[in-house]
Amino acid sequence: MIALIGLALGVVAGLLLQPTVPTELQPYLPIAVVAALDALFGGLRATLDGIFDDRVFVVSFLSNVVLAALIVFLGDQLGVGSQLSTAVVVVLGIRIFSNAAAIRRHLFRA
Amino acid sequence: MSPRHGDGPAREPDASMSLLSDVFRRPLEPGYHDAARRRAAHPDAPTTWTHRIVILVITVLLGLAVTAATVALRRPSATAVQARHLLERQIADQTTRADAAQRTITATSGELTALQEQVLAGEDPLLLARLQLDAGPSGVVAVRGPGLRVELSDAPAADGADEPDLDHRVQDIDLQVVVNGLWAAGAEAIAINGTRLTSTTAIRSAGSAVLVDLVALSSPYQVDALGDAATLQTELALGSAGQHLATLHDSYGIGVSVTARSLLELPGTGQVNLRFASTPRATATASPGPGVAGSVLPQEGSSP
Repeated sequence: MIALIGLALGVVAGLLLQPTVPTELQPYLPIAVVAALDALFGGLRATLDGIFDDRVFVVSFLSNVVLAALIVFLGDQLGVGSQLSTAVVVVLGIRIFSNAAAIRRHLFRA
Repeated sequence: MSPRHGDGPAREPDASMSLLSDVFRRPLEPGYHDAARRRAAHPDAPTTWTHRIVILVITVLLGLAVTAATVALRRPSATAVQARHLLERQIADQTTRADAAQRTITATSGELTALQEQVLAGEDPLLLARLQLDAGPSGVVAVRGPGLRVELSDAPAADGADEPDLDHRVQDIDLQVVVNGLWAAGAEAIAINGTRLTSTTAIRSAGSAVLVDLVALSSPYQVDALGDAATLQTELALGSAGQHLATLHDSYGIGVSVTARSLLELPGTGQVNLRFASTPRATATASPGPGVAGSVLPQEGSSP
């Protein structure tokens, strides 16, 4: 619960403060946002499953974002940045999709 | 088959695709289940306040970072905005310069005309009279009087579509037909959207825009013709231009309206390009100019 409150506070603060992102980080933003979405959907599904855990949520969120950015960084260094980004987006996209499907089953029983 | 076939744990038939099936079948972080099991094992494990505060701080930071990233992604990149501003500034600057140059041209040609008349009034009054007589038909000076206004506007179907649908737009050929029809009907002077037509004016298409004397015009196109409105209207309707207008209206939905006006004001071009000159002496030889301006053809383009 406290994690969701913290996230909501952070989002509100971000919208109000409109902080600028350093330009060096710009290439990693799309992947990081997708990774964050994945963690968010995972957390939502865990909540509905009744097994939500603050620590797991925070750790998965943080590691997802950092790992995704790291993979893109590595790919950029190796010259396969766009391909690795695609791979990350595909995997995370599938996870988001099936988590969303599970949430839908929870909510609508269908 | 391996010699230990049947001994070990049964191998899944799709073991080689375990990565894919992992992704598909267990999209939830396994950590959640582990944590749930741990909690079930120690139901009365206390959650400390430091733990909660750390979670809160980290999630606030994460939310802030993700929001910042999303906002940054939604904002157009700074370089694009910069380039756009630069181009906008350049357009404004050049337009101002062009306007200033146009004003200078108008002023100078007015001066020139005045000087010309001054000189000619003393030397050759006959030529001056002829010049002043020709100034109207050649489109140099502004003229006013009763006339006919033909207004063509793009069909509503032309708007909204992603691809410009040229069939439903007024094209250069349509304006050419109308203008030629008006000349044939006896118009004394014609202007389209305030651009006076002279003997050397071209009506052309450039993409979806119509250029009249290299000035880009857009719908609606007002073709103003000076002359007797009733005669113009009748002659226009009887000629092939009338049929063309009817086809435009019926087949393509292009707006056509013809109205008689008691007073139309047409601007003059204000300048004459010298294309042919000769010395006034008997030994004069013609310069190798491209030809005589002010010939019979009212405009370039197709004939009706």
